[in-house]
Amino acid sequence: MTRESKPPRAEQQFFDDPAIDRIMGAFMSLATEHYVLLDRFRALERELAKSGAINSAALDQEPDESERAESLADRNAFVEALMRPLLGEQDALGAPGKFSLKTTKSGA
Amino acid sequence: MNDRSFVAAQDFLLSAKTFWTTTLYGAVRDSYADKASSSQDEASASVEAVAEALEDTTLYQFYAWLERHLQRMKYAGRYGLVSYHDERRAAFLDSLDQIESEGRLLELNENLDLPAYYTGVDIHQHPGGVWSDALAGIVYERGARTTTPLLGAAGKDVHERFTDVALGDGAPKTVLDMGCGFGKSTQPFYRRLPDSRIEAVDLAAPCIKLAAGMAQKAQAKNVRFRQMNASNTDYASGSFDLVTSTMVLHELPPKTIGEFLDEAFRVLSPGGRMVNLDFYSLPDAFRRFIHHGHARRNNEPYMGPLAEMDLSALLKSKGFVDVEIVPFKESDDIDLEANESWRFPWTVIAATKPDGCTS
Ligand SMILES: C[S@@+](CC[C@H](N)C(=O)[O-])C[C@H]1O[C@@H](n2cnc3c(N)ncnc32)[C@H](O)[C@@H]1O
Repeated sequence: MTRESKPPRAEQQFFDDPAIDRIMGAFMSLATEHYVLLDRFRALERELAKSGAINSAALDQEPDESERAESLADRNAFVEALMRPLLGEQDALGAPGKFSLKTTKSGA
Repeated sequence: MNDRSFVAAQDFLLSAKTFWTTTLYGAVRDSYADKASSSQDEASASVEAVAEALEDTTLYQFYAWLERHLQRMKYAGRYGLVSYHDERRAAFLDSLDQIESEGRLLELNENLDLPAYYTGVDIHQHPGGVWSDALAGIVYERGARTTTPLLGAAGKDVHERFTDVALGDGAPKTVLDMGCGFGKSTQPFYRRLPDSRIEAVDLAAPCIKLAAGMAQKAQAKNVRFRQMNASNTDYASGSFDLVTSTMVLHELPPKTIGEFLDEAFRVLSPGGRMVNLDFYSLPDAFRRFIHHGHARRNNEPYMGPLAEMDLSALLKSKGFVDVEIVPFKESDDIDLEANESWRFPWTVIAATKPDGCTS
């Protein structure tokens, strides 16, 4: 017997707002991807250390002040990009706020 | 995806499942205990009352979401078992082709009608179920290694422990394993009883093919896997001293359970014993609530109905005697009383066909 193909069904909902259900899906996919990368990174480091290309102990050391200062601007830019959206401000001028077309009368 | 990424992703999901099994489940249980002690008697609560107390809490909603979606991600999506195996289809098909395809160990039946209850749902969120894809048995075997994260490699596994219970001190000459899957439940029987005849049936060709492959590797000579409906076999009445099933009853709708038990009764020899392992014994409303939720979230539509059946009465009405329904310890280090983590309500359901019974 073969399986009939069926149209997809609506996913189960657990949170009051289904948007949370869906964003959790994206979040867990990213978390998985992040772990896969971490794992690969560690494997890469191990291989490089084995071949003598890098010194793992040096990589693990606390960065000195000059290195931290050097990366500060980049760090701040990263945080800016991450957190700026929380303010809810426009990057390019346009109409503000929430809008709806529900009450627009056609032909008016 | 490469093998390393697949394993890393699956390991990550397993760690998440472990956190869910211990910490998150514990928090849900504690939060219910708090609410129950401040309102009514916990022991007399109903599933509905537990649902009232928990379903709208954020904690439970995360618990529920993770239960469904960690399992979804294990099987489906980019790092899921299905796509991993699909990318290696040719090699896996090749390994299946090495299996003696027809003969002593294996009997397939292409014309077998699969019941609607079976094809209508992708059981435990395995896309396509365990039957529709040639690789489904291999996918299922890989997935089953991590069904319950707390069951480590140490000590006897579930099937070995179940076999201890089913055999007791006896050495049945003939054994039938109903719904054998990829043969994990059959293995301990054909290994421990080299002089007995072991038969195993299942609806899923891709599973019994793998089962036969494993038996071939183990050089077993006393077992045969057959593609057959367990509730309607072609064995003569009175053929078996022992009939077993593990984790099959909960996949069957109540009507089919009746037919399955009738068939077990028929093929048993007088005085023969039937021993099933399944999910049944749920001593309080909280655990019933958790179990019914699990069933819904994990695509197990008949797990709930089984939990609500009066199996003891049903078995007696079928003519069985010496009915025994007892909680089962799935690992050496589990303490049924003190256990605080999520676990299946493992239960042994056993009964005997009366001596001198010829029907
Ligand atoms: C959860 S698996 C358990 C497999 C095996 N007993 C084990 O413990 O590993 C349930 C199995 O029951 C089989 N099954 C479901 N309904 C069946 C039926 N009516 N007859 C035979 N097998 C059935 C499924 O194909 C599946 O392989």
